[in-house]
Amino acid sequence: MSAPLPSTEQRRTLAALADVLVAEGRGMPAASAVGVAGDLLDRCLAAAPTLAAPLLRVLDEARTCVPAAFVRQLATDRPDDFGVLSTTVVGAYYLSAEVRDLIGYPGQEPSPLPVTGEPDYLDMLERVYERHRGYREAP
Amino acid sequence: MAAYSGPPDSRRLTAIGASVRSGTNRSPNPTADVLIVGSGASGSVAAARLAAAGFDVVCLEQGEWVHTADYMSSHPEAELAWVQRWSPDPNARRNPADYPLTGESDIRPVMYNGVGGGLVQWAAMWQPLLASDFRVRSLDGVADDWPIGWADLAAGYEQVARDLSVSGLAGDPALPEMAAYPNPPVPIGKVGMAAARGMDTLGRHWWPGANAIASRRHGALAACQRRGTCMLGCPENAKATPSLTHWPGALAAGARLVTGARVAEIPLDDRGRAIGAVYLDRNGVEHRQPAHVVILAANAVGTARLLLLSTSARFPDGLANSSGLVGRRLMQHPYSTVTAVCEEPLDSWQGPWGQNIYSLEFAETRPERDFVRGSKWMVMPHGGPMFAVAEFHDAHRHEGFEAIWGENFHRAAAEILGHAFTWGIQAEDLPEEHNRVVLDPEVRDSSGLPAARIEYRLSENSRRILAFGAARAVEAAEAAGATATFVRDLWPTGVGHVLGTTRMGDDPKHSVVDRWCRSHDVPNLYVIDGGVFVTGGSANPTATIMANALRVANRMIDRRAEQEVSP
Repeated sequence: MSAPLPSTEQRRTLAALADVLVAEGRGMPAASAVGVAGDLLDRCLAAAPTLAAPLLRVLDEARTCVPAAFVRQLATDRPDDFGVLSTTVVGAYYLSAEVRDLIGYPGQEPSPLPVTGEPDYLDMLERVYERHRGYREAP
Repeated sequence: MAAYSGPPDSRRLTAIGASVRSGTNRSPNPTADVLIVGSGASGSVAAARLAAAGFDVVCLEQGEWVHTADYMSSHPEAELAWVQRWSPDPNARRNPADYPLTGESDIRPVMYNGVGGGLVQWAAMWQPLLASDFRVRSLDGVADDWPIGWADLAAGYEQVARDLSVSGLAGDPALPEMAAYPNPPVPIGKVGMAAARGMDTLGRHWWPGANAIASRRHGALAACQRRGTCMLGCPENAKATPSLTHWPGALAAGARLVTGARVAEIPLDDRGRAIGAVYLDRNGVEHRQPAHVVILAANAVGTARLLLLSTSARFPDGLANSSGLVGRRLMQHPYSTVTAVCEEPLDSWQGPWGQNIYSLEFAETRPERDFVRGSKWMVMPHGGPMFAVAEFHDAHRHEGFEAIWGENFHRAAAEILGHAFTWGIQAEDLPEEHNRVVLDPEVRDSSGLPAARIEYRLSENSRRILAFGAARAVEAAEAAGATATFVRDLWPTGVGHVLGTTRMGDDPKHSVVDRWCRSHDVPNLYVIDGGVFVTGGSANPTATIMANALRVANRMIDRRAEQEVSP
């Protein structure tokens, strides 16, 4: 079963809450600026559908609240709900190609094993062998 | 005693297998020579070996086939897969085949239910037990000796390493002499080199990791592409898992694998012999699969649960439980980590995510320490940005909201991502009878069967092993040049190693199965998963589980004429 899609209003609420968690700074964009409440949110919820229902409940609850105060109170009083919100925001944020570029993360891409000759740890391994010769025998 | 001569004509059995595969055999559940419950590490080994020897094998698996296309590991969402769909925790994953794990436990077991079992999600670390692991009572005065020793498993270790295309370097002086692995070790990478330099500086043991991950094309496996998502399933098919390494051969030899089949009971005949299994299909419809011999291979939680479910007038406390030990002595490998953050770039999201290197420096008992036995260590990569955030937050949470959120959120990626490696500290967990699997009196699975309730408390000895290990790992990290270290004391979810709930032994009063893993109480019932471990060692158990399953299967073949069976 696919997760229910958030409404426009719920996305607007999420964008505000997300910027409390992931603010602009240190050369990085804020969460809302890269679209964590847009397509990235949809991808996040498709990957982890069990986040959807509790997230939408939290967003409805936060609709008329002050974002910073709401998020801080959630973190203090309701760790499970805060976990849902923060996992969603962090997961969606790092799906952004722009963000990945900025942090130098290429993703879990394939990269063939290097073709090498002898490994460059053999001298260290020699020392292991000399130091630890003889395992503990069992009767 | 009814004598059983095994399959009289292997050609006939091959023909039956072929007709099943082609869909022309419509007879419902003919009696199998051997019924195996569970298709994972041990069940797949037994199925392949017994089917190759001509036995008519049926395997019942409550989960489904997992195909390469099912993995999320090649998607940008790979890190999010851990949250639910590929979480190792069945309570988070909530697949229809998963049964709930309940109870208050210091460590909650994790597992995968599907073809291949836990080896769908394992990190593929290939680690034989130490020679001393089989004799902890004799050597250290604790727990119990195994009725078998390292030499009994040596041939199995070698054969299964070949079957799984293990990549590694033989010659570790901390282990008995072993044959060369079929593939050279996967390069230990920048992560492994950094950690090895630290251990070298301190004069400690380390060795390049052995992994069931192919460093070159070998057998059923392609060469590793270092994607680093090994535990989410390898999209390149470079990680060994039974659906690649064992089931194709088993099915070709005539074995039949029934998926979506959750076993509810092992019934007996009036002489106390197992007559097969009662199972429920995906729709809850009950079926019976008759068999001459039954092998349980459903892991130490699942097998114990099934035995406890199988009560009768003869066994009111659970099948094969005259010792009262079914479900007890649960061991789990308590686990801590120390993450080292280095200035140099380590490309530490890069795989494979098995063990780059390992250490047995602290695996043995030493008189100067305040605990017995010890821990195995292994170095792993650190993963992508979500892992960096989790690590950073765990370390700085006590500093308050502002320290980890807002603008400071970006510190995690800036300071950790690509610059970290992790020492995993895996403690030997000694058996204690109060650590156990029982049936939950209220919670039920999707088939209506009682859930498995875990009652487990971390022992003081295990706590001391972990504390000592963490302190030594911080030293190793600093010797490797770490500018920061993050310690996680005890992971509340386990590492997927569940052991000891149906221990083997020679004395029926103090063990569930004998040294050949046959029930003391039921002459045609075997258990071959990690439940038979007498003690857990600190090594990752899969190599031993599979080697032992092969040992038992070979024995069943050799002694089939002596096997008592139901009519």
